[in-house]
Amino acid sequence: MADPVARQPRLFVANRGEIALRVIRAAHALDIETVLGVSVADRDSAAAREAGRIVVLGPAPSRDSYLNISLVVHAAVATGCTLLHPGYGFLSERPELAELCAEEGLIFVGPRAETVRAVGDKISAKAVAEAAGVPLTPGSGKLESVDHALEVAEGIGYPVITKASAGGGGRGMIVARDAEELRRAFDQASTTAREAFGDDTLYLEAYVERARHLEVQLFGDGEGGAVHFGERDCSIQRRYQKMIEEAPASILSDELRAGLRAAAVDLLASIDYCNAGTVEFLYDEARQKFYFMEVNARIQVEHPVSEQISSHDLIKLQLGLALGTATLPRQDDVVLAGHAIEARILAEDPERDFMPCPGRITRWVPATGPGVRVDSAVQEGSMVPPYYDSMVAKLIVTGSSREQAVARLSDALKRFKVEGIATNIPLLQAIVDHPGYRANAVSTKWLENTLLPAFQTERSE
Amino acid sequence: MTDKGKSPALPSDDLQAIVEQFNASHWRSLELEFHGSRLFLSKDSGALPTWDNRSSGGAVATVATLPPPPLGAAVTNAPAAPRAGIAEGHVVVKASSLGTFYRSPKPGADPFTQIGDSVDADTELCLIEVMKLFTTLRAGVKGRLVQILVDDGVMVEHDQPLFVIDTNG
Repeated sequence: MADPVARQPRLFVANRGEIALRVIRAAHALDIETVLGVSVADRDSAAAREAGRIVVLGPAPSRDSYLNISLVVHAAVATGCTLLHPGYGFLSERPELAELCAEEGLIFVGPRAETVRAVGDKISAKAVAEAAGVPLTPGSGKLESVDHALEVAEGIGYPVITKASAGGGGRGMIVARDAEELRRAFDQASTTAREAFGDDTLYLEAYVERARHLEVQLFGDGEGGAVHFGERDCSIQRRYQKMIEEAPASILSDELRAGLRAAAVDLLASIDYCNAGTVEFLYDEARQKFYFMEVNARIQVEHPVSEQISSHDLIKLQLGLALGTATLPRQDDVVLAGHAIEARILAEDPERDFMPCPGRITRWVPATGPGVRVDSAVQEGSMVPPYYDSMVAKLIVTGSSREQAVARLSDALKRFKVEGIATNIPLLQAIVDHPGYRANAVSTKWLENTLLPAFQTERSE
Repeated sequence: MTDKGKSPALPSDDLQAIVEQFNASHWRSLELEFHGSRLFLSKDSGALPTWDNRSSGGAVATVATLPPPPLGAAVTNAPAAPRAGIAEGHVVVKASSLGTFYRSPKPGADPFTQIGDSVDADTELCLIEVMKLFTTLRAGVKGRLVQILVDDGVMVEHDQPLFVIDTNG
């Protein structure tokens, strides 16, 4: 087989929507040809119009098209592609895809298959983090008795939460704020665990009362070198789905910020990580400590906020590193400045329990102006198909400070007009204009516990 | 303007000529149907080239446009099969999956079928291979094979028309 790097590079884009379009445009800017695999429902998509060529993978449902590894790799090889970009979601974190690409002589734009596998499994990812000296949520091994639990809790510090060794799903999970509560919790959780899982073994973890979701954007050179592009705060979530992300994380002191970034660099460097990756942390505001959550071995939805504050095009960097035409910048050359916020615009109706609202977009006026960027793959007349993720656009604003960025986001949301489908724009507006958000006094539960009840009451009146 | 000619595809030079004539004309739109493909040119709204044009190199992708579908219409995922150009009683057999199209059971062997052969529903027409996994495509109807639309050994896409079977008589 000819050396794939030697000839004109041709990229297979194994994704859809805005990220497919984003990758296609970055590739064309680097003089890389593109082939886009589409489902029947996406034949006329914006990404399909800009791709050098499209290939119909299969019917609309993802499992018959975007999620079928054999179809995707076959299409890439048969169309003469030399590299493949998986985007996010779909097959991006399936080690089998990276493996099959390697077997077929395709460059996978991402980490090596064994890396994807090592960090994809929660237990092995924790082992990797621990070995690199990255802090994990303080916890215990299996508890022998209630006295053992009390002793462990003294070491961790209250509040703590009991967890069943044999299972999950919230059963056996009880929060205890002092020794007295822990005595009761231990008995109750043991009983629940025995009934639910046939095993009453418990362990204990520190309970994080006010948590922030923080994450560090990184790139690795595959040889132990890793560079960070700053951190993001993604605490505005609903049911673990991020809705607003910003960079940098203003909550952190300089010392904590440096520690967080260094921990993430150490982790990826320790596994010779290659290409783009993110290390996610839970930040405990009360204890002022961060704990490792997981590694996302791919580009993420919210990568634009890191691009905005670092002035690096991360997709181009991914492609350049994969092709060997670019090298990792030195850490000193990644200069971070300003503040960026991304709001995800979803075809969902927040007034009807976030019901997905696919359909034809009859009016589409994205916000424009200084510091405003919209990453999207829809326009007036576009059909939002019902088969896929409901995100239709990412509205990204940048300012010199958080205050300026928030003001620009509020203003941009007011000017963003979408008709034909319901969107979460009114909810995003309510979030951004809320004093709690303005003061950056939020947590991962804030949207669900504070903002949404007020929003829904106000709307129903 | 409709061309019911029997040529399996229109050469891209001809397409280019049609587009140039259209651009030079005072027509707002033009619809052309030919065996295996449909072409719609319009001077209004955003570009939406048809599936067949894109697969054959997209020579007209920058000018061939579709009017936006009527508001509230269903997803425009109509199969790219020839319909208007197909004669009465002719059935198009389409690719069940993306993959490599093989007319023979193995390299060097005789093809499963030839043009003119009688087929019934169970007759094997071709193999479609996806990463070394072969699927047999059967005729599905009784009739006579009148057209093979794809060359042996090429990649076909999901739903791509492959064979035409005459079910008359």
